[in-house]
Amino acid sequence: MKGNIFVVTSGKGGVGKTTTTANLGVALARLGKQVALVDADIGLRNLDLVLGLEKRIVYDVVDLAEGRCQPRQALIKDKRLPGLFLMPAAQTKDKESVSESQMARVVHTLGADFDAVLIDCPAGIEHGFRNAVAGADEAIVVTMPEVSAIRDADRVIGMLGTRRARLVVNRVRPDMVRTGDMLSVDDVAQILSREVLGVVPDDEEIIDTTNRGQPVSLDPSRRLSAIYFTMARRLLGENIPALELQDDGLWNRLRRIVVGQR
Amino acid sequence: MSNDVHQPQEILALPAPVPPTTEEAQTVTEPAPRKRRRSAPASGTLGRAIVITSGKGGVGKTTVTANLGAALADSGKRVVVVDADVGLRNLDVVMGLENRVRLHSLDVIEERCELDEALVRDRVRRSLMLLPAAQNRDKDEIEPEDMIDLIDELRDTFDIVLIDCPAGIEQGFRNAVVGAQEAIVVTTPEVSAVRDADRVAGLLPNDMPARLIINRVRPQLVKKGTMMSVDDVLEILRLDLVGVIPDDKEVIVATNRGNPVIDMTGSPTGQALRRIASRLLGEDVPIPDLTERKDWFSGVLSKLNFSRSRAAKG
Repeated sequence: MKGNIFVVTSGKGGVGKTTTTANLGVALARLGKQVALVDADIGLRNLDLVLGLEKRIVYDVVDLAEGRCQPRQALIKDKRLPGLFLMPAAQTKDKESVSESQMARVVHTLGADFDAVLIDCPAGIEHGFRNAVAGADEAIVVTMPEVSAIRDADRVIGMLGTRRARLVVNRVRPDMVRTGDMLSVDDVAQILSREVLGVVPDDEEIIDTTNRGQPVSLDPSRRLSAIYFTMARRLLGENIPALELQDDGLWNRLRRIVVGQR
Repeated sequence: MSNDVHQPQEILALPAPVPPTTEEAQTVTEPAPRKRRRSAPASGTLGRAIVITSGKGGVGKTTVTANLGAALADSGKRVVVVDADVGLRNLDVVMGLENRVRLHSLDVIEERCELDEALVRDRVRRSLMLLPAAQNRDKDEIEPEDMIDLIDELRDTFDIVLIDCPAGIEQGFRNAVVGAQEAIVVTTPEVSAVRDADRVAGLLPNDMPARLIINRVRPQLVKKGTMMSVDDVLEILRLDLVGVIPDDKEVIVATNRGNPVIDMTGSPTGQALRRIASRLLGEDVPIPDLTERKDWFSGVLSKLNFSRSRAAKG
C-alpha cells in the first residue's frame, strides 16, 4: 500500500464532490501524474458527464468487480491529458450489487498501477458510502460554509475511522463572509478540527464547465484552475500553504502563489 | 382550528397489551415487540403524503420542504414535515428547531414514545410540526412497512405530510417514498442534477403522480446561454412542472439562521415557493417567465441584498 488512494466524500450531496474529484484529477494529471478517477456512485453516476466522457463507457466498475473485464478494458483514457483515466460507475445497477471487499480490491488494483486514485463517493452514509471508503487510505472531505453541510461533514468524519481526513471548503463567498452572513474558512476548520487542503470560492464558471464536460482545471487561464493546482500539489505532499479566504485577500494571495514566491 | 394540532391522546395512544386468552394465541410466538403496530383505523379523510426527492443531493430538497411546509401552514392546513434522512438529518436545522429535538421517528417506530411526543412544533406556525430523524442510526434500521404505518398515522391527524427524502436511491430513498401518494422531484438546471432526477422519476411507482420543481435558476446565465432553460429541462424530464425558483443567496442566510425564505419580504425565491404551495392546493397560479424579467429583477434583487445586509449589520 502506497497511501495513494483518496476517497472524496461529504455526507451531504451537492457540495461539489464530483467537481472536486474531476478537477483534482485533471490538476494531478497536468502535474505529470498517472491518475485514475473512480466513480463510486453506482446508479447515479455523474463523473463521466463532468469529464465529458459519457459516450465512451463500455465496461464499468461493477463489471470489473465481478470479473467480467480487465481494469484496462473498463478504464477510459481521457484523450485531452496523458495520464488521466476514468473508471465509470454502472448506471442501471444498485449500490448493493458490489460489496465492500470487491470495491477495496478494485481500488487496490488501480493503486498499484497509478500514482493516485481518487474515488468519487456518493452522497449519504449508506452502502454506497461504505463501498467508496472501503479501499481508501485517506479522505478528502468536501464541505461548504453552511450549517447543514458542516453537520454532515462532521458525521462523515466520524465514520472514516483512523483515516487521515483533510477538508476542501467549497463555494465560499468572500462578500458574504465579510458581511457576517457566511462562516469563514477558519470557523469551518475549527468546528471540524481538520486540516484544510484547499479553499474554493463560489464561481458560476463551474456550472458552465460542468454542463459542457470541460473541467475548469483544463484551462490554466481560468481563475479556479490555479486553486485546484495548489490543492493537487498539497495532496502530493508539497509544503505550500492552502489558500485562506479572508475578506478580500483571496485573489492577491492567489496571485502571489501562482506568480511564484515559492 | 390551526391551534388544534394534537389529536386527543386516546387516538394516538397504543392499545394496552392484552394478555393472550386462548391457547392459540399463546402458541403464536410473539415477535420482538419493538416494532410498532398502528393503533385505531383511520377515521374521516386521510391527509396527503407528498415525498420531496431529487436523486442528487444539494439541489434544495430540505429547503423546499421547510418552506412549502410553512407556506401550506399559512394557508390554514395542518402540516407535518418528516425528515427521512436518518443519520444525516438537517430539516431541524433549516427550521431552526435543532435545540428542541428530543425524540425521533425511530423512537416512535421502536415504541419508546408516542408519535405526538416526538413531534416538534414550529417556533412561529402553530399548525406546522416536524418529525425529526435519528442522527446516530442507519437508514436500513427502518423497514418500509414501519414507514407506511408511520406516515398513515400522520395522515390521520394532518392535512398534508411532506417527506424530506435523503439523496441517493438506496434504502433511505425507498423508505421515504413508500408511504407517499404523490412526489415532487426537485432539480437544478445542471446536466448532472437533471440526469439524477430522470433516474429517480423512473424509480417512483408508476401510479404515483410526480411533479417537478426547477430550483436555483439564474436568469442571467440562461440568457447568456450557459445555463439550461426551463424548456430544456422539461424536454428531458417531461414531468408536470409545479414551479421554478430563482437562485438567491438570501437562501443561505435564511438557512443558516433557521428562518424560512418565504418570510423574507421581497425575496423572489420566497415568492416562488409560496406560489408552488398555492398550486399544490389546486389554485391556478401561472408560472412567470423569469428570464423575461431579467432587468428589473436583478436590479431590485441587488438593491434588496445591499440594503438588507446593511440593515443586518446596523
